[in-house]
Amino acid sequence: MFSAYSGPILELDRVSFRYPGAGRIIDDLTFAIGGGEFIGLLGANGSGKSTILKLAAGMVRPDRGIVKLWDRPLAAYRNKDRAKLLCYFPQHLDVSVPFTVREIVGMGMYPYDIPPAMAVDEAMDTVGLLDKADVYVTNLSGGERRRVFIAMTLIQGAGILLLDEPLANLDIRYQIEFLRLLRRLQEQKGISVVMALHDINVALQFEKVMVIKNGAVLGIGAPEAVLTGPMIRDAFDVSIELRKAEHGMYITHEKWF
Amino acid sequence: MHKVRITLFLLMAAAILVLALIAGPRMINPLAMSATEREILLSIRLPRVAVALLMGMALGASGAILQGVLRNPLADPYILGISSGASLAAALGLLSGFYVFGRSSVPVSAFIGASLVSVLVGAFGWKRGGLWPERLLLAGIGLNFLFSAVLMLLMSLSSDEGLRRAVLWMFGDLSMADWTLIPSASIFIVIGLGIALFRSKALNALILGDEFAYSLGFAVQRERLILFAAMALMTSASVSLGGTIGFIGLLMPHIVRLLLGADSRLLVPASAIAGGAFLCFADLVGRSLMPPLELPSGTVTAVIGAPYFLYLLRKKDVLGV
Repeated sequence: MFSAYSGPILELDRVSFRYPGAGRIIDDLTFAIGGGEFIGLLGANGSGKSTILKLAAGMVRPDRGIVKLWDRPLAAYRNKDRAKLLCYFPQHLDVSVPFTVREIVGMGMYPYDIPPAMAVDEAMDTVGLLDKADVYVTNLSGGERRRVFIAMTLIQGAGILLLDEPLANLDIRYQIEFLRLLRRLQEQKGISVVMALHDINVALQFEKVMVIKNGAVLGIGAPEAVLTGPMIRDAFDVSIELRKAEHGMYITHEKWF
Repeated sequence: MHKVRITLFLLMAAAILVLALIAGPRMINPLAMSATEREILLSIRLPRVAVALLMGMALGASGAILQGVLRNPLADPYILGISSGASLAAALGLLSGFYVFGRSSVPVSAFIGASLVSVLVGAFGWKRGGLWPERLLLAGIGLNFLFSAVLMLLMSLSSDEGLRRAVLWMFGDLSMADWTLIPSASIFIVIGLGIALFRSKALNALILGDEFAYSLGFAVQRERLILFAAMALMTSASVSLGGTIGFIGLLMPHIVRLLLGADSRLLVPASAIAGGAFLCFADLVGRSLMPPLELPSGTVTAVIGAPYFLYLLRKKDVLGV
């Protein structure tokens, strides 16, 4: 079914959206995600990154425009079918109920009648939590909890991951491990990822970045081309000088305070 | 390990049921019964144990559902005003001479009241095409205060003896239990429990939050509405059976979580069984301790249950409770 199709796998076509009673707007946004593509979504707090991801996931319906998954309106999918193709990972993880790690990771199987190939143990091992399989998530640190949900996402096995600040609360080791894990999944299974970020240096590691301001695209393309000093000053509304280090990382020029 | 615990749990529940049937102010040996004892067992003990079991099951399961749906460990079916609404309806029914249903007038008006309040809470909790946990909870608390106040007002203005009886009954009294209401109430409770069991995966997902539930392929608002309706059905049936019994809806799910885990697929049925067995036990204690005086079951449940819960809370290292 999919092999004959070579267009974008997820597409937002002239999408506009406004929360009832709120001023925040996504205005006439168009962008597409191809198979195996990694896109970093960069923007200041409140720029609309989360809303764009929710629109792309179908969690909120656009006021105008259409979201298509595999060239078919996202709204036309059955919930379970959509969940096998598309996974949304929210920014805030708050679980106050004492589920064990194993229980939550196992919930990744819910869209399936027949459990998928990846076993719960394997997923927990991948995120380094196999030895904590029977620990209550309420007793884990913020970063460990995030890894629990990452493992659940692995079980869910969707080809498109829409991740809202998945690196928050992770220390640098797990940030790198998580990004490498996604890269492996991209190479092995051809997954596509859209990830909201606020760290410019992380965005530089992506093949493609999209800079958002006030719900509109400020720039899209390779990070070297898009993430220029003026662009970052504009997107984040901050007057700092930026300098590129030898290996491509940005460093700020001056003392911040 | 888990299987051993579940087996022990089921055995204990079964043992309590048997004990509640044969023990009491008068011990009954089921293998050698006199005619009087047979009469006591069939027309007094059995319906009473059945009512306690049904009420406890409904309340335990309702609590487990509501705490998940509202994502709030302090939620219980009564906090939403369902019980005070039921009491008010029963009192109003009595005051207005609404005896259409004969001996069952009080429970039937209580059931109608509880169902109406559930719909009302749902209506207040409804916005933008769905039920929202915070709105539901606050609307329920608001309605609870309102109904309690009106009930107090009625009580202080009225000298009607029947009203006083109705109010007492509402505080949880199983001594009037007979077979009349059991068939209809058990139908509602079985339907509610069935729905909840069938939707227990959705309940788990809702506990993770709307966004994860959506991502895992659940229609969040539809699932929440269905689970809320199942809870309302069971709670209304329970209130009509024997009034308001505290503790079980709020704390039984927590006790079961600490003993058997939080997975709703196990938590909902286990909270039902634990609630049923526990109310049977509390009722047994209430009627056996100083006969012929009976202690109200609602009080006994809390007196026995609360210390045990506090002990578990100290012993187990779970931040989520």
